[in-house]
Amino acid sequence: MKTVKKLGVGLILTALTMSAVGCANNGGNTATPGSNAANTPASSKEEKVKIVYSMWGSASEGSATQAVADKFNASQDRIEVEVMAIPWENYMTKLNALATGGQLPDTGMLQEGGVIQWSAEGMLNDVSAMYEGSESKPLDSLAYKYEGKTVAYAAANEILLLYYNKDMFDEANVPYPPSALDQAWTWDEFVETAKKLTIDKNGKHPGEEGFDSQSIVQYGASVENLPWQLETWALSNGGGFYSEDGTEVRIGEDASIEAIQKVADLYLKDHVAPLSVGQTDDGIQRTIIAGTVAMATNGQWNIGTSLNTAKEEGLNYGVAVLPYMKDKVTLNTGGANVVFSQTKHPEEAMEWLKWYNSEENNWTLISSGIWMPTLDKWYKDETLTRKWVENPNFPPYDEYKSAVVDYAQSSAARPAAWFYTNYTSDFNTLLGSVLGDVWTGKTTAKDAITKNLDALKAAHAGNK
Amino acid sequence: MSVAAYGRLRSKKRRDRTMNILTFVAVVFFALLAIFPIWWIFRTSLMSSAEIYRYPPALIPGNWLFSNYEKTLEVFKFWKYLWNTMLIIVPSCLAGTFTATLCGYAFARLRFRGKSLIWALCIGSMLLPAMVTLIPLYIGWTRGLGFSDSYWPLILPYFCGGGAFNIFLIRQFIMSIPRELDQAATIDGAGYFRILFSIIMPAIRPAMIVVALFIFIGLWNDLLQQMIYINSSEKYTIALGLTNFRGQLKSDWSLTMAATCLSFAPGVIFYLIGQRYFVEGITLTGLKN
Amino acid sequence: MEAVNKLRKRRSRIYSSEARVAYICLIPAFVGLIFLTYLPLLGVLGISLTNWTGLKSPEFIGIDNYIKIFTTDPYIKDSIIATIYFAFLSVAGSMIYSLFIALLLNRKIPARGFFRAVFYVPYVLPAVAIYVGWSWLYEGNFGFFNYLLSELGLNKILFIADSSYVIPSLSLISVWLAGNLIVIFLAGLQNVPGVYHEAAEMDGANGWQRFRHITLPCMTPIIFYNLLLSLIANLQVVTPALALTNGGPGNSSRFLTYLMYDQAFVNYRIGYASATTVIIFVILAVFTLVLFKTSNLWIYNEGGDDK
Repeated sequence: MKTVKKLGVGLILTALTMSAVGCANNGGNTATPGSNAANTPASSKEEKVKIVYSMWGSASEGSATQAVADKFNASQDRIEVEVMAIPWENYMTKLNALATGGQLPDTGMLQEGGVIQWSAEGMLNDVSAMYEGSESKPLDSLAYKYEGKTVAYAAANEILLLYYNKDMFDEANVPYPPSALDQAWTWDEFVETAKKLTIDKNGKHPGEEGFDSQSIVQYGASVENLPWQLETWALSNGGGFYSEDGTEVRIGEDASIEAIQKVADLYLKDHVAPLSVGQTDDGIQRTIIAGTVAMATNGQWNIGTSLNTAKEEGLNYGVAVLPYMKDKVTLNTGGANVVFSQTKHPEEAMEWLKWYNSEENNWTLISSGIWMPTLDKWYKDETLTRKWVENPNFPPYDEYKSAVVDYAQSSAARPAAWFYTNYTSDFNTLLGSVLGDVWTGKTTAKDAITKNLDALKAAHAGNK
Repeated sequence: MSVAAYGRLRSKKRRDRTMNILTFVAVVFFALLAIFPIWWIFRTSLMSSAEIYRYPPALIPGNWLFSNYEKTLEVFKFWKYLWNTMLIIVPSCLAGTFTATLCGYAFARLRFRGKSLIWALCIGSMLLPAMVTLIPLYIGWTRGLGFSDSYWPLILPYFCGGGAFNIFLIRQFIMSIPRELDQAATIDGAGYFRILFSIIMPAIRPAMIVVALFIFIGLWNDLLQQMIYINSSEKYTIALGLTNFRGQLKSDWSLTMAATCLSFAPGVIFYLIGQRYFVEGITLTGLKN
Repeated sequence: MEAVNKLRKRRSRIYSSEARVAYICLIPAFVGLIFLTYLPLLGVLGISLTNWTGLKSPEFIGIDNYIKIFTTDPYIKDSIIATIYFAFLSVAGSMIYSLFIALLLNRKIPARGFFRAVFYVPYVLPAVAIYVGWSWLYEGNFGFFNYLLSELGLNKILFIADSSYVIPSLSLISVWLAGNLIVIFLAGLQNVPGVYHEAAEMDGANGWQRFRHITLPCMTPIIFYNLLLSLIANLQVVTPALALTNGGPGNSSRFLTYLMYDQAFVNYRIGYASATTVIIFVILAVFTLVLFKTSNLWIYNEGGDDK
């Protein structure tokens, strides 16, 4: 087996002889052309400035956006916008590759967890100036801030809420969850109701004699346990993931741990929830749409992405505010629209974004229920709210107005951590991994988190 | 033939028949198991999105929604994606198979300095996951050579031997051809290339088809590289088109599965055409050291 | 004397023309190995000594990344265990399964071509669809397998949602996918000289004995090729984690290549990811070396060395 001996020698030899070349190669290749992104306003009138805008979405969503961009292109004679649609699950991979290749588009969407990090790497332009002098501005809570500067505005507003299946409630003769914030259920009320809605093969409920948790045919509740959504419950219990300024990690506090354990106990102790290990984000499909769960928490975008089709197929669902532990909390979020610092045309990019961000131009996404408007007039002016909500895609106006529109501008709505602190995706990845065995009951939230607290802190500090 | 021997033969025949029946039953059993997940994908492609998640799960769709396929074809531009994919696959298969044959020939038949070193490097290259060199290669293709939104970074690597596994396979095949064949040709004054083209290649043609099939399937399903190098949706391939069903936070699984069922048809057809050569190919020449 | 010299000269001339032809044939491979494998590998080695994020310019930080991986990284240990565990189950499972199916398909049964296609098709399917399809079968509450279990009155198994079942569950998929191994085995089986079997049968050897002493030894070169193919592919496993589990539950399916992907493309630590890559490469090299080293102990060779 000479071959094998030679394998090692060969590797070392090539490594030695070529290392010089390799290193030189690296140095040359990796210099990011951030510096050539000088703010040169395009002055030539004859030729239009070409701007590439990247977005996630399917090909049809891409061409819909291109159609909107064409309107913009026709409305003036200086800027030509071209849309680049990238499949959602590969979006950040692709952008990252484009960035290393110095091929980034001029402007585009950025997934939430990446905004502050890209900003910290100097990849994003300051967009504070975008709305200077405009009368309508996006809600303050929708600005991504890095070192005090606004580096992006959310393209949309999104909040978390509680969905429920009205038919299941009617059948069990249980009152619907409240859509008004001041009537929000406490956690215990939520669990009690869930028990009434959980049924095993023999029609028994949890806590009853002879109830068999192995043969449940209908679950009462499902609380989405993707790490970023769990922050809601930590905050609600008086804890949190981070301090308000994002500098400290608070997940080790008893309140935060207790909140996470309560979510896990829905499956483990209360037997009201199906097991979910926070791996996939089709929560509403697996629960409400599948018709196996009576209540489920998730984002309002599900109305437009899946519930509208299910409604046509006969699903009778409603929307309500989340239950609470100590404080009433929901998170708001929204993918960002950014201007990349590699662009040569930051002014034009901002002009396009500002134009595109006005609701009229996103109307398909907003009227389908996927996005909520970012400008506050849509929340305050009832004629505008009616224009937005009164269409067959949505649940009844009063219900949605109270459980979504009012909820989103109430004191309960807090920005998700990625609006103000860095390394949330590192932190969430690690947290998800740490909690993996908590959901199945192999360990407790307390043990899992205390054991890994240092690692979590390190992840948040950006040096895992 | 003695009576005893005759009896043995008869009982052997009977035993063989029972064995064959048992074998067939076992094959059918395992085939059902193997085909079950495929059936699951297919039946999903005919369901409404609510039915997919319904409990208890249905083995057979309630309504056979063939309209899902119509809807799919509106978004999933099958023929266009197929054409684009072929633009990548055809040159890659041809070039990959040809250069793998050249390299395999050199390793199997020719003596030259540094042979074992180069062979070791070749084996070593099998150890690198494609993902590992993704970034350096991406930088090379885009910044170094200026290719962007282009098929060339996907095709050109196949002009370089078609991958170590394929070179390995060809080498094994050539080694199993009796040397006397080419020695005879040498005496007749044929050069090394003449031997390669007129003796070796015809003999290993089936093996070359095997390699072409491997390259075909490899490229057919190679989402990651295609995703990185291709930007515009007019240039999308089958693999990229498939991921495109996941829109913004939205996944329409019945349509995705319909597209999947459409997309693997060409692969199966290719296999069915190649199968004869594929199996016979290895049989004829043997995959021996 | 003169004749000998002449002969030597002629031989060396032949030899050099042979070498020239070889080098010409190998030009594509040279180009490929240099530009597509080893230069990028050196690139990766170089990057692994920096803190490059892929976004801004890198700084040289020596072997800090490696130190971090072996001291503070919260994933690496679980990741190595998961990868090796998965590779072991998948390689063993798919070798046994594919050899077994190939043995069945090698007998004279009706519709052989059709059945071969059935076992091969999973290999052709696009990965995304495969894993989504399986995820519905495996789903912990209402998946099809759990429906069967509960109909049989058994307790539910959480499959990919349970850290102790996830690897075996994923391995099962990878065994199912091993259609290419079956086809190669099948071809190998048909290549076992029939005369050996006839002779053995004359001597009264039974089916198992013939398999053990004829089929298996004749198949060793093919077993070796398949073993190598399967080992390398399974140690590089990444798709199930990408498509199905996101590395969870916990770290139980955080395979090394997935870890590397996550570091490079989700958390923008390309320097660090490159260091992980180097570790993946070393682990693969060790396993491959061991396989090559031990291969001459069990490969039955009809003559000639492996060159």
